[in-house]
Amino acid sequence: MEDVLRQSAVLQNELVKGWKEKGGKVVGYTCTATPVEVLEAAGLLPYRIRALGSSETEMADARLSRFNCSFCRSCLQLGLNGSYDFLDGMIETNGCDHLRGMIENWERAKGFGFFHYLKVPHVVDEDSIPYFVEELRIYKRAVEDHFDQAISDEALWDRIQARDRIGGKLRAIYDLREREKPGITGAEALSVFLWATAVPSQALEDALDSIIEQRKDHRIENCRARLLLGGAATDEVDFVREIESLGALVVTDALCYGARAFMPRIESSPGGDPFKAMAESYFEKLLCPRMFDDFASRRDFVFKAVKRAKVDGVVLVHNKFCDVHGVDNVALRMALEKAGVPVLQLEKEYGAKADLGRMRTRFQAFLERIEGD
Amino acid sequence: MDVKSKGLVNSLLPRLAVAQYVPTPILAKAGPLLASLKIGPPAMQAALSGLFSPQAGEATVPFLKMISTWVLNARRAAKQGKKVFLVPFNFPCEIIHAFEGAEPLTSEVLSTFGVVALPEQGEEYWDMAMALGLPDHMCSANTIELGSMLGSADFKPQAIISSAPGGCDVNSKIHEFVAHYLDIPHFFLQKPPDDGGRGRAQYNVYMRGLIRRLEDFIGEKLSEDRLRSVLTKANRCTELYYELFDLQKAVPCPVPNIFSLFLYGVRFTMWGTDEGIKALEAMVKVSRERLARKAYPAEKEIARCVWAYTSYYYDLYGLFGWMEEKGYSHLGDGLDLFFPRMVDTSSMDSMIEGLAESAWNMPMTRQVGAESMSRSWTEDVIWAARELNADCVIYCGHHSCKQTWSVVSILREELMDRLGMPILILQGDSWIKRMTPMSVLQEEIDEFVKNVVAKKSTPKRSLKKRRQKRMEEMDS
Repeated sequence: MEDVLRQSAVLQNELVKGWKEKGGKVVGYTCTATPVEVLEAAGLLPYRIRALGSSETEMADARLSRFNCSFCRSCLQLGLNGSYDFLDGMIETNGCDHLRGMIENWERAKGFGFFHYLKVPHVVDEDSIPYFVEELRIYKRAVEDHFDQAISDEALWDRIQARDRIGGKLRAIYDLREREKPGITGAEALSVFLWATAVPSQALEDALDSIIEQRKDHRIENCRARLLLGGAATDEVDFVREIESLGALVVTDALCYGARAFMPRIESSPGGDPFKAMAESYFEKLLCPRMFDDFASRRDFVFKAVKRAKVDGVVLVHNKFCDVHGVDNVALRMALEKAGVPVLQLEKEYGAKADLGRMRTRFQAFLERIEGD
Repeated sequence: MDVKSKGLVNSLLPRLAVAQYVPTPILAKAGPLLASLKIGPPAMQAALSGLFSPQAGEATVPFLKMISTWVLNARRAAKQGKKVFLVPFNFPCEIIHAFEGAEPLTSEVLSTFGVVALPEQGEEYWDMAMALGLPDHMCSANTIELGSMLGSADFKPQAIISSAPGGCDVNSKIHEFVAHYLDIPHFFLQKPPDDGGRGRAQYNVYMRGLIRRLEDFIGEKLSEDRLRSVLTKANRCTELYYELFDLQKAVPCPVPNIFSLFLYGVRFTMWGTDEGIKALEAMVKVSRERLARKAYPAEKEIARCVWAYTSYYYDLYGLFGWMEEKGYSHLGDGLDLFFPRMVDTSSMDSMIEGLAESAWNMPMTRQVGAESMSRSWTEDVIWAARELNADCVIYCGHHSCKQTWSVVSILREELMDRLGMPILILQGDSWIKRMTPMSVLQEEIDEFVKNVVAKKSTPKRSLKKRRQKRMEEMDS
């Protein structure tokens, strides 16, 4: 566990380094709508882009603007300053306007060894599902062509099943986290999830088994309040640590670096069309405010987590200028408050240490409010 | 909800009724007279002076009558039990005009007229949205009108259509939020960001799906005859659009600056209607006459400026009129770049395909909803700058346009590399004066034209001469 926590705090962890040393290729991706099975089936290591709380943006600011979200600016900064030079390719999705701008500027400034744009529709209906299934086939062909590696349906099913197993193990960590006396803190859990999207799947499975075993009898006592953290792309472990330093515990989440990335997954039986199976998990069940006509699913997901984890309050965050979460969080707050769940809605700058004092005051006040209820 | 507030549309109605019912000759005289008397609040003076500028001449009244018909039709339709759809600017309104039982209202145009014509310039409605906790980086183009719907006793539509998914997150999200909050149906026309044949084919599929859903909701099968009639008129609008575009190429520009706004005002509201045709015909007529007279409001045309995305609307005179007086021609902005095509009206199929193509080419959808966020936008702006003999490009920097903000650096590089053309990047809110006052924007434009654009056309002086001149200035 300690090693995972340490390794989760660096971009190029030991397993990525080892993979590269053996001649393996690493392909970056930005969004949970990217089926990593396709990359894995081609023998590639999928790596989810993150900024790990880095707030430096000087180089990125020459390309993006101060009206673009600071998370994307931070990721671009790391791309431009060479921190991501270990990547051999990039899969872009149309996650949001900021993300698209980030990748477009990154590609223009430095280029990627391999680049593919996976187009994800914004509405799930009978017209868009076949389009996305075809889009996945195009994605697979692009990977095959560039890396000169045929991808069979069998290999895809093998990876889909591996991802199903990983999803099950991550859910087991949520069980540890959400139980009455949690076995893992919110900051630790987020570290594990971050690390989980940057390592080979076999090593991940083994590590998750080990973490579950280590923490099954661990009990965290005397928590001041049980919280759900929801909202924008948040890979800031320090931010969660700050909340928990006040005595609260983030016992569950609705983050795209957390539960939203694997919980809605559908477990499919091998034998059918693997692309349809992936479309179901990665598109039809995609829980992201970049999707439209689907607010009810996102709201229900949060409500279920609130009940399951018996939370005392919900913290909804978004980075300044993030429109999709900024608006969705308002609708979520209204729905939660109507149901009597206390909510703290926060707009923040990504990774900004200067923001922490203000955040601390808000958390403190929120906890006092929960305790007073 | 502030039930004491009538809301934006209800407040606009009496003003628009004046434009509707006062005879044209009287309105044509009263408007400029009121503008010249400078009575009423400053915002109203600026609006009147901008709309009734001497350059716009006879075109202002048909344009205002068209806008009033558009809003009053929607109001009447709602009373008659028809369906009123709130649509975004990038949705081709002719689709709704083709239904007997429906009328379109465009949120951005309503916001613009609220900003132009109401004493508080729509800011109280923006505040209503903020009071709900919505972020201050929302787009005021939508949020002013939608804030009014959310927070006042304003007129409410029966449904919302969103064609922004794929082109603009903030626009799409606020429409979704309002539909959810008001509990009204929400229809989508999403754009696959795939500029090839596959994307086009898929967009046709989406368009047909939308029409099917609209038919079900309105309870009316789209009539081939009615659609043909609307699209025949839309084709006439297309002819007039290109006529105006050709006129804009002349030096000095005979097309008044404010026509940039009038042109897309027609596109977003009454394209494919008689009123839309009348407004465009009047604009073409005025521009033609000005070309014949070689009329230009300033002594000399100093700079020809293409605006890359939106303009500023909270002070029409302060931007359009002021630029004209300085000799800075406003050659249209990104919202004018919707490149309409003649629709083949021979069959239902060809008309629906034509509608899909029109929708594909709507501003924003075409440019930033494309496979690359910068490529199509850059190509369109460079093409327009070249065709219109522009000297420079100005990017308004409307703060909520995150998609263009995230690739404007690419536009800047491409303009310089390919045309050697400078771009001025402003920052502000196109609809709300609180963020950057017009005087500051004017100053920045002025400095840019004087120090960058005008200097480009001045022959370079030798270093020796410059030094000598500086010494002389110091001595004096």
